[in-house]
Amino acid sequence: MNHASTVSINPVLVRLNRDRRHRSVGVFAAWLVILSLVFFSLDYLNVPVERIFGVFGRIGEVVADRYYPPDIRYILDKTYFSYVLGTIQMAFLGALIGILLSIPLAWFASWNMTPSRRLVYPLARFVSMGCRAIHETIWTILLVSILGYGMFPGVVALIFFSVGFAVKLMAEEIEAIDMGPVEAMVATGANLFQVVMFGVLPQVRVALTGIAIYTWDVAFRAATVVGFFGAGGMGWYLKRNVLQIESQRVAAIMLSIVVLVLISEAVSAWARKAVMKMQ
Amino acid sequence: MTEKAGQRILNDVADQVVHERRRRKIVIASGTLLFGILALWCVNATIIIDTDWQRMGSIGDMLRVIGRYVGFDVPLFKQLLQPALETLLIAFLGTLIGVLLCLPVIWFGARNITPLGRFSYLLSRMMMTVSRSVHEIVWALFFVAVVGLGALAGIIAVAFRSVGFIAKMSAEAIENIDPRPVEAIQATGAGSFQVLRYAILPQVLPQIISVIMFEWEINIRRSAVLGLVGAGGLGLVFFRQLNTFNYHGVTSVIIMILIIILIGETASHAIRRRLL
Repeated sequence: MNHASTVSINPVLVRLNRDRRHRSVGVFAAWLVILSLVFFSLDYLNVPVERIFGVFGRIGEVVADRYYPPDIRYILDKTYFSYVLGTIQMAFLGALIGILLSIPLAWFASWNMTPSRRLVYPLARFVSMGCRAIHETIWTILLVSILGYGMFPGVVALIFFSVGFAVKLMAEEIEAIDMGPVEAMVATGANLFQVVMFGVLPQVRVALTGIAIYTWDVAFRAATVVGFFGAGGMGWYLKRNVLQIESQRVAAIMLSIVVLVLISEAVSAWARKAVMKMQ
Repeated sequence: MTEKAGQRILNDVADQVVHERRRRKIVIASGTLLFGILALWCVNATIIIDTDWQRMGSIGDMLRVIGRYVGFDVPLFKQLLQPALETLLIAFLGTLIGVLLCLPVIWFGARNITPLGRFSYLLSRMMMTVSRSVHEIVWALFFVAVVGLGALAGIIAVAFRSVGFIAKMSAEAIENIDPRPVEAIQATGAGSFQVLRYAILPQVLPQIISVIMFEWEINIRRSAVLGLVGAGGLGLVFFRQLNTFNYHGVTSVIIMILIIILIGETASHAIRRRLL
């Protein structure tokens, strides 16, 4: 009995050991690939490696030399406030329209509820991927060339941005619903629209509201820079001062962006918590 | 007597329900109205007043402008290969340096392992928020001033921008671990580093790797535009094509960006499936 058990456990141990060795070979190979990629890219991009390690010192130096002290008085100005207000309006409108477009698109782009898996589903996925793949600054540049300078192209760029951001998240929520109520409604003879309105929407309403608030928050972050490429808002101010090398004013504007984004993040966190509580 | 009382209670409940429904309806209606008015105000300010309608011209003019972009600059594609590879590598190095910068932030930011209590936790949360709240273009502008024009500025900008997201998700993963292995390893007399290595890391590594891969995908998209502010890669070519009014070249660059994003997404999917 005793003899037999030692005989049977040894091969198992051998196998486990071999498996471990295989795994460690795999980990070793992965590290080797990553390291060689690092060296290749440092070489290919002509990165001055010695500067990477000195970068924190340089940050301190540059900030002390050029950006400090930030010219706070420059941004405590009525025109600047109107630009900030414009940025908020742009973000609000872009995100609002983007979210309203995203809700039906998310329905079309969810595998379980889409009206047609062959046609509508890939189309909706493609639209959302296209909006997401092209960065908001590129959208802005293209739209400025079509619509002219001003906040209008910014709003449209933010619509694209919000659609790209929200559709994927919303579709994932719809795909994760409980199919029981949906099947029950289908059994009573409800059509697809009724099923979505009364079987799906009540289940995802809270989650979608959370995503919508989050989208607004992210859109505001994007809105702070669309002006840099010709759409209106704070980015326009930033561009002007960057070009004039007014570094202390640039520092003040950057600081104001950080503060505003922190405020918007706090507001959105509060709003999301409030929505969760309402559930 | 009891029947009457029961009837009264039922009536009260019904009244309450009706009241509640009416209140909800009023809240929803006034909320919608508020949103509508805000939206109209924004439309007026951002679109109607702020647009140069004369410059935009008629719909035909707009279509003509769009038409200029339709078409490819085929010979340009060969010159795009090198900047495309550069963009991928900027994203790779940026993500990697971002991960290295993340490690202390994650350590400080996960509530169950943070070394100095509330102080280090708040410090780390602040760093995450600043990293996420500053747009990559602004980071790049800053780092172009710090390290000069070129790929390095883009790499560091991408790294700084990535810290927030990776650190936040990883710290949350660490906060949600199963505490029993930690206790078991502590019971053997292990130090805090050993606990980190043998009890915490094995539990969260797959999640953290998948977060990193996800961030890498986003970073490709970001590094493709950082050239617009002087940080190398495809953005620089895009900028040049635009400034020389080579509209077909602009479209070609966009197609190239889409191609490398597709490559990045496929690669990250394959790696994630292999690992998890």
